[in-house]
Amino acid sequence: MSAAIAQWRGFKAATRLGWEISSNWTRPLIFVIYSVLRPLSGAFILVVMYRVISGSAPGTATYLAFLVSGVAFWSFVQYGFAGLANGMSEDRGEYRMLKYVYASPVHFYVYLLGRGLAQLASAVASTAIVLVVATIALRLPIDPLRVNYPLLLGASVLALLAVIGMAMAYGLLLLLARDSHGYGDLGASVLYVVSGAIFPISVLPGVLATIAALSPLVYWMELIRRSLLGSHAIRMFATLSDADVLLRLLVTTAATLIVAHLVFGWADRMARRRGLIDMESNW
Amino acid sequence: MSHPSAVRIFLKTILARAWPRLVSTYRNRTWVVTETLLPLIGTIAMIYVYRSLHAPARYLGFVVLGGVLLAFWQNVIYSMATQFFWDRGAGNLELFAMAPTSLAAILLGMAFGGAYVSLTRAVTILLVASILFGVGYSAAGLLPALGVFVLTISALYCLGMLLASLFLFYQREAWQLADAMQEPIYFLSGFYFPVRSLGAIAGGVGSLIPLTLGLDAIRQLVLPGTPRFIPLGWEILAVVVQLAGYAILSLISLRYLERRAREDARLILRST
Repeated sequence: MSAAIAQWRGFKAATRLGWEISSNWTRPLIFVIYSVLRPLSGAFILVVMYRVISGSAPGTATYLAFLVSGVAFWSFVQYGFAGLANGMSEDRGEYRMLKYVYASPVHFYVYLLGRGLAQLASAVASTAIVLVVATIALRLPIDPLRVNYPLLLGASVLALLAVIGMAMAYGLLLLLARDSHGYGDLGASVLYVVSGAIFPISVLPGVLATIAALSPLVYWMELIRRSLLGSHAIRMFATLSDADVLLRLLVTTAATLIVAHLVFGWADRMARRRGLIDMESNW
Repeated sequence: MSHPSAVRIFLKTILARAWPRLVSTYRNRTWVVTETLLPLIGTIAMIYVYRSLHAPARYLGFVVLGGVLLAFWQNVIYSMATQFFWDRGAGNLELFAMAPTSLAAILLGMAFGGAYVSLTRAVTILLVASILFGVGYSAAGLLPALGVFVLTISALYCLGMLLASLFLFYQREAWQLADAMQEPIYFLSGFYFPVRSLGAIAGGVGSLIPLTLGLDAIRQLVLPGTPRFIPLGWEILAVVVQLAGYAILSLISLRYLERRAREDARLILRST
């Protein structure tokens, strides 16, 4: 059996494992309700906040589309980042199987990629339902026939690579702590503030706005809105063309992956040296 | 040999169960970070949403007060409602069941300890967010608001006791159910906007959670000009009724579900 086939099998097994862990606790209907209820409520919180301030003034639908698209696609970060980072701690502490993954012939990256992909599958359903429900209920200017799908898909693939890369590095860093429960969500919350998901990053104070501009998530959010809403999109980078924003996304994603790889390598060495891979964390 | 009275055992159980919570307030530093920062960052994100909308300053106060009570709600869900689920997984629940005391006393101890822990987190959120964003409150309303706050938190923890008995029947889905009780409740309880904006029906449904009316009352007292859901007096009365109602319901529910759990062997069922 070639090495590539072994890695592929490992990837498939990891994807299936991730999916089973995140979904086999309940019946499919309840799982769907659970996966949709949270982001939908999150979106409607913002809708009500906006309506409280702006009422039904002209341009309402455009701004609501800005909010809803950000919240809908945020599920990818919530599941992909927090889910994967938490998953690594769970594999060690709750399921006590991380050491077996390390001992298996599958490269750890391949295993984590599979685990992350399973998380993203849940996010797809959540994002689609939030977009459909909100577009119909709020009459958002999103026309499925006019969406720039190549741009949306290309930007999302790049951003999700960055998200999984960040989650891998962050998740492995969390292994350095005995009790890192909740830190995956904490990391996702921080990204939420600096991603431009629910407000333009120009609102942030100078230092935070600069940090936000270095994150691929901001450019992803911008491209999501441009591809979904076209000329109706409220732009965070009004002076940049689509190609410019895509280039920035590409560069920041590449930089993020390089940094994530370095952090991952360092955290991996530390975890091995300190014997943290099979540490009993009293889950 | 003399035996301690039932009342003494009940009170000592409350103290004994509250003690680990009090100790954990500062000892488990990783939890201090998450319990404080998670609601604080959520609060800050919502403040920036209002800022981006150029909302009047009192709306920032809205969000800060919502963030303060959010810390209590998270504690009620993760450290009250799901606690017996964790205890069962760790093997403690069967020890509780064998001990010569009642589960109600254990839950009360958890509630007192948990309320204290949440209070320390909530004060931090209040101070940090208010100072960072320059939020001011009406001094005249602070004392009555404190009274409403105590009533609201008491009613909330009684609801937590009720949920704890219900969660005895959940297995691995308990964790997901607890997660599912976050954003939907933030929405229905108007954590980040006036409850009135939800309308009578959604606001009425949300009012089943004591936080909804308590939060609205507190906002009316310390943030003048707040759009009110119902008159302040009615809100306070409703919270008092909820306090008594949830306390009685939790005792009935706990007794019934404990019996059912014993019959179905769920007190010793490992699910993690």
